Amino acid sequence: MATITLRVLFFSILRDQVGRDAMDVRLEAPATGTALLDYLQREHPPLRAFRPVLRIAVNQEYVSETRALADGDEVALITPVSGG
Amino acid sequence: MAQSDMTALETMEADRLSVRLTHAPIDVGAAFAFLADPGAGGLDLFVGTTRRWTGDAETVALSYECYAPMAMKEMRRLIAEAMARWPVVRACLWHRLGTVPVAEASVLVGVATPHRADAFEACRFLIDRLKRQVPIWKRETYADGRMEWVQGEQSPELPDANGES
Repeated sequence: MATITLRVLFFSILRDQVGRDAMDVRLEAPATGTALLDYLQREHPPLRAFRPVLRIAVNQEYVSETRALADGDEVALITPVSGG
Repeated sequence: MAQSDMTALETMEADRLSVRLTHAPIDVGAAFAFLADPGAGGLDLFVGTTRRWTGDAETVALSYECYAPMAMKEMRRLIAEAMARWPVVRACLWHRLGTVPVAEASVLVGVATPHRADAFEACRFLIDRLKRQVPIWKRETYADGRMEWVQGEQSPELPDANGES
């Protein structure tokens, strides 16, 4: 079965919730951002509360979570930002 | 556009904009020096500072973290958007990281344009967009010892929502 491996990054409150700043995730191909978020939410239930406001960035660009992911993609989970 | 022309354009743009993520205090004088240009008739500087009081909560320390490579790209992209909308001669976006003592600068937006109205508008655009789009997060430490990540009011927009590619 074909799989892809993604580098997933966590920041700020999500890093606190998950307990680490990055992890590799392997998913069955083809996979979208939605499939990744569904997987992460099962493995880390505290993420569920953030799902409605989560944005993902793939290779440092904001994208729709329906976008197909590719092997080796860097996927960052972005909660509403608070710089400034 | 020929490849060589594109390279020249990028080089020129690079000289006219400055994005920076820094753990050191923000040097407002250095921003003014960067923005100074014979083509500019007005410079707008916005400096965001760390506030002690939010409602009844007293903040004793703030700390910022970011997704650095993406934050740099987003800041450059925002300046490119401002340059497409207003006749921006020079612009800078500098954000501080790590612990920022209360009342110090956490962010600086600088814009130089030929006339002042455009400088005000482009500066307002850049700080508003930075606060929505650039992956930087603030953590407050309150006087009662609580620490809390601040969450923005809205999720970042997708590029499509701006009518971009």
